[in-house]
Amino acid sequence: MTSQGDSVIVSVNRPSGRALEKLTSIRELGPFALLIVLSAVFNFAGPAFLSTMNISNMLSYVPELGIMALGMTLLMTAGEIDLSVGALFGFCPVLMFVLYNQRVMPFEACFVVVMLAAIVIGLANGLIVTKVRASSLITTIGMMLIVRGTGLYITSGFPQATWQTESWIKEVVVGIVARAGDFTLLASLFWFIGLAVILHFVLNNVRFGNWILATGGNVKAARARGVDTDRVKIILFVLCATLSGFAGVMDTLRIEAAYPIAGTGYELEVIAMVVIGGTLLYGGRGTIIGTVIGVLLLRTIRNGIIVVGVPGLAYNIFVGLIIIVMMSAHALIERAQIGES
Amino acid sequence: MAGELVRMEHITKTYGRVQALQDVTVTVNEREILGLVGDNGAGKSTLVKILSGATRADSGTIYFKGNRVKIENTGDAITLGIETIYQDSALVTQLSVARNLFLGREPTRRIGLTDVLDKGYMKSQTRSLLKRVGITKDIDPDAPITALSGGERQSIAIARAMFFEADLIIMDEPTNNLGVEESQGVLRFMRAAREEGRSSIFITHNIYHVFQAVDRIVVLRRGKMVADVMRDDTTIEETEKVITGLVDTRYSAAVQ
Repeated sequence: MTSQGDSVIVSVNRPSGRALEKLTSIRELGPFALLIVLSAVFNFAGPAFLSTMNISNMLSYVPELGIMALGMTLLMTAGEIDLSVGALFGFCPVLMFVLYNQRVMPFEACFVVVMLAAIVIGLANGLIVTKVRASSLITTIGMMLIVRGTGLYITSGFPQATWQTESWIKEVVVGIVARAGDFTLLASLFWFIGLAVILHFVLNNVRFGNWILATGGNVKAARARGVDTDRVKIILFVLCATLSGFAGVMDTLRIEAAYPIAGTGYELEVIAMVVIGGTLLYGGRGTIIGTVIGVLLLRTIRNGIIVVGVPGLAYNIFVGLIIIVMMSAHALIERAQIGES
Repeated sequence: MAGELVRMEHITKTYGRVQALQDVTVTVNEREILGLVGDNGAGKSTLVKILSGATRADSGTIYFKGNRVKIENTGDAITLGIETIYQDSALVTQLSVARNLFLGREPTRRIGLTDVLDKGYMKSQTRSLLKRVGITKDIDPDAPITALSGGERQSIAIARAMFFEADLIIMDEPTNNLGVEESQGVLRFMRAAREEGRSSIFITHNIYHVFQAVDRIVVLRRGKMVADVMRDDTTIEETEKVITGLVDTRYSAAVQ
């Protein structure tokens, strides 16, 4: 009796199971299609969009927010969030140049010190969230204010002089790798690609990646299987903070200016990139490929609307619309999955 | 008579002002199915949570295969050979069947400098394990857990206990959300595990399931052990009375 019933359900389920798999892959396909369509539209409306100069320009902007988004992807997959990334983005380079301009230590040492500072801040976020069991949303808002406030305080709000830096670090982080006509390729792009490849591999092909997914999917089940979920989260908070500090340094070395207010609002833009790409806001599912698409998508919009002559101030309208559209699409797919299973 | 596999001695645990367990001593022998019964709040779950590492006792000692052991977390218990199957199966619904099965103990292959998940092995093992636990339908090891029924999900947890060759399998209300046939499958699994030389602790509200499967019955009431008898020496009616506290005397005598 029961087994008969089962077999009926099975035969009904099978075709929809295949369809389900396809729908799941649309998580990355949706934003990807949007990216292609928008690029075509922008190029049609303003042919300068796909010019080598504009592409080169865009690619120099992509890595910084992109690297932050990679860290955020893994953290959000584990079910936590970090709103202090924008503050770290501004704070780390500012601290670096405050130290450097005192002439107390070489540039390389300053770099090491600020990366350590980022690690400590990430560690603090992680420990507070896991050991005190405070909400990561509130904890990292607090951390955002502390870090941003410290940056403003130690500089009195003034930008720091950066033009005297000549260091191999600058070459390694944002040096020009190739130049052909008006097309320049910066080292930062390779950092972004390299980190994306490594983190994609970590998420999908090693044990730690499975633990990240399980921690975000069902923390109790993960713990019952002996996964140290607190450790997973702490490591990801540290990763997220470190990558944000590094991205801030990268930005500063590229534009040769360290502003204590740099990165304001980046936390929301980064989160938007991550969720548009298909990572679940509440954890359990994450995609680095999706995030890379999300990063390219938002960067394309920011750049494209200017190229086609829409005032840059309208940027947020487009980002907001796309967030809502993509989120609705993901939610509909999700509901279809639950309804069918 | 087979030897002792586990001995939990003088276990005490309080949650705030609630005394969950009071000086409880329980043993599980080798090749034995122990039925742990009691009303809601009797302390059954707390007792097995201590054994599976989900929580720690305030005092008391645990011996496993004759050695005094410290079980500080779930990883310790799993390493010792204690697998726990929970009523909600404790699965991550977003993860695939294979990834759930091996969660926490994923097999890896060394490629260059890194240990990479051995996905091929995970898949093939998942397929053969699902057959062993009696799932005849062809489940894709890469399918998400949401594609499975309640009984099939329970089977994943059982498959886990089989694969990792646990010496002690703790079943915390494993038949709660299952149909008749699926529940029988769980009972069959426990008997089969006993044939292979393993032991189980079976916690359930369903007294009929207890009498169908177990060798010995331990009754907890309000954090204390009130009975420890061989199944063949008692009846369903009597056990129910002990659980609810209507009868005490004969059973209390059975406890040394």
